Amino acid sequence: MIPRSVRYLLSGISWPVYILLYTPLALVAYYSFAPAPNQMGHSLHAYGVLFHDAEVLTALQRSLLLAFFSATISTMLGTLLGYGLCRFRNRRAKGVLANIPSLIIYTPIIMPSLVFGISELIFFNFVHTYTGLLAAGLQTMIIAHITFQVPYVTLTVFARLAGLDPYLFDASHDLYADGIKSFIHLIIPVVQPAIIGGFLLGITLSIDDFTISFFTAGPGSVTLPIYIYSAIARKGITPEVNAIGTLMIGSIIALALIHFFITRHRERGSQFAARGNIT
Amino acid sequence: MTLPAAPPLTAARGAISLSGITRIFAGHIPAVDHIDLDIHAGEFFTLLGPSGCGKTTLLRMIAGFETPDAGRILISGREMQEVPAFKRAVNTVFQSYALFPHLNVEQNIGFGLKMQGVKTPERKKRVDAIMELMQIGQFATRSAAQLSGGQRQRVALARALVNEPEVVLLDEPLSALDAKLRAELQIELLRMQKRLGMTFIFVTHDQHEALVMSDRIAVMSKGKIQQVGPVLDVYEKPQNVFVAEFLGLSNIWPILSAQGQTAQTALGPLEVADVHLARLCAPPQAPEAVPPPTPGRLAMIRPEKIWIYNDAAAPTGRPNMFPGTIREAIYMGASTQYRIELHCGQFVLAYDTNNQAAERSWRPGENVAVELKPENIMLVEP
Repeated sequence: MIPRSVRYLLSGISWPVYILLYTPLALVAYYSFAPAPNQMGHSLHAYGVLFHDAEVLTALQRSLLLAFFSATISTMLGTLLGYGLCRFRNRRAKGVLANIPSLIIYTPIIMPSLVFGISELIFFNFVHTYTGLLAAGLQTMIIAHITFQVPYVTLTVFARLAGLDPYLFDASHDLYADGIKSFIHLIIPVVQPAIIGGFLLGITLSIDDFTISFFTAGPGSVTLPIYIYSAIARKGITPEVNAIGTLMIGSIIALALIHFFITRHRERGSQFAARGNIT
Repeated sequence: MTLPAAPPLTAARGAISLSGITRIFAGHIPAVDHIDLDIHAGEFFTLLGPSGCGKTTLLRMIAGFETPDAGRILISGREMQEVPAFKRAVNTVFQSYALFPHLNVEQNIGFGLKMQGVKTPERKKRVDAIMELMQIGQFATRSAAQLSGGQRQRVALARALVNEPEVVLLDEPLSALDAKLRAELQIELLRMQKRLGMTFIFVTHDQHEALVMSDRIAVMSKGKIQQVGPVLDVYEKPQNVFVAEFLGLSNIWPILSAQGQTAQTALGPLEVADVHLARLCAPPQAPEAVPPPTPGRLAMIRPEKIWIYNDAAAPTGRPNMFPGTIREAIYMGASTQYRIELHCGQFVLAYDTNNQAAERSWRPGENVAVELKPENIMLVEP
């Protein structure tokens, strides 16, 4: 039992932390409602400007396109990889060998994105020089985004599968399902929440990413984060930039809520199940 | 008109024949070591042994989850080496039940039929029939997670039986249940097996469970089969010390030498009814022992086969009557377990039933006489 004084102290510390975390976000939102030039008060002026700025809309469209394609492909690849790593891991392996799956998954995640971005840049240049393929642009960005999203999807799928009764796979083979049927009728439905979670995470990461996009973008493939960066470099922080920030915060919170409700729904199901067990 | 020749016993639907089955996991001693075994069609067969004896590995090879490193598996007379698990007419009830978490009871049971391409109306009919039989119809739309242990066990069994397999494999399916439910389900499982006439292969480490349920038992240890036979034989006439001790309590004394029907043991001379005593336990130096006798046979007697008498009231003139003193009496409800120190210094474990016919019960310190009837003494290998 934690003493009451310590509990008060801990909750006393937590509030300044929350303030530190959320005040900057609130400020961005506040400044986005700045009035039109030479006027007073608050207005939606910046949003109006934003929605009529062709450059912003193109960048947004490109960001969404990039996010959608990279997240879709990395969800498919990550699901297969997570399944493979879980299903065909060697249960009798010891030491480093036993940890190879997690090493494969975690290394790209802990790699600084700067290093990641530069190495992608070098790789694409290399390929382009020798084959003429992979000119810098949306396609290289999609590939780069897939490479950093796959580990996240793999991790969520792997974690879900590793938490399952390993005999489920045997049971499905035992009940006349071959590999493909097992995948369709057992694996996909069972890991579905992880797949959706991985996809949403991929979208978020992709829209959010600046570093890797910056290094792999080509002329005419400016995404929203890159646009914001160059806008700030040119004109400083304008209400329009704050408006973009506010919209992004809003969408990310919306995505997080969707994910939260999906997972909460699942957990509630298993909680109910646990109660059902006792009776 | 002549009748067609009966198919060989091992080719009947549901019969299993294993020959030379070996499975070695990398860098380990064999988990299953050259096992030859015939399981008859329609019998309730139990693989009994301590954990790690290879019984589950053997079961998994019959199911097709593991591939033997050597040997042949025949199911209903067909070679199974190249047949993957999903093509074998064999279904398994797993220890953890392995019910699909994303499906409800009905869908779980229908999974195998669906994978085999059985169309919905037919599938529904068969699933309903088996749910009725197993009395789980009221749970049809519940998810597996919402069931109790006993209900899950029924669903797991229904999921196997609905496919009408040639063989049903059960991997310690009752081990997670409490004692009372377990006893109920043992009987239920047995009735179901007799009613459907399918071959059941049951894996357990619980000797009591094995005795209750099986037609025949194979006792396994260290990847090898120690003894196969009908329940009664394996319990009453164990071949070796391992089987004797695994299936229940026993008193065992090495035989030092033998003459006629008398064996020399630590108890002194012991009359044994087994006519093979002299041959089996002849002293090694005997010149006529051309096939060298298996060294070191032991005399074994079950505690419930020992008679206890009041010291004064003990009948005289009978063989194998040993005086002693009660050292320990443990009341166990239906019977009492006594530890008796004989005058020669050896200890004997004996059960006495607590029925009205029982003369009386004894307290520690009382002097008694125990009788080891010659016909109840078995000769076992070490």
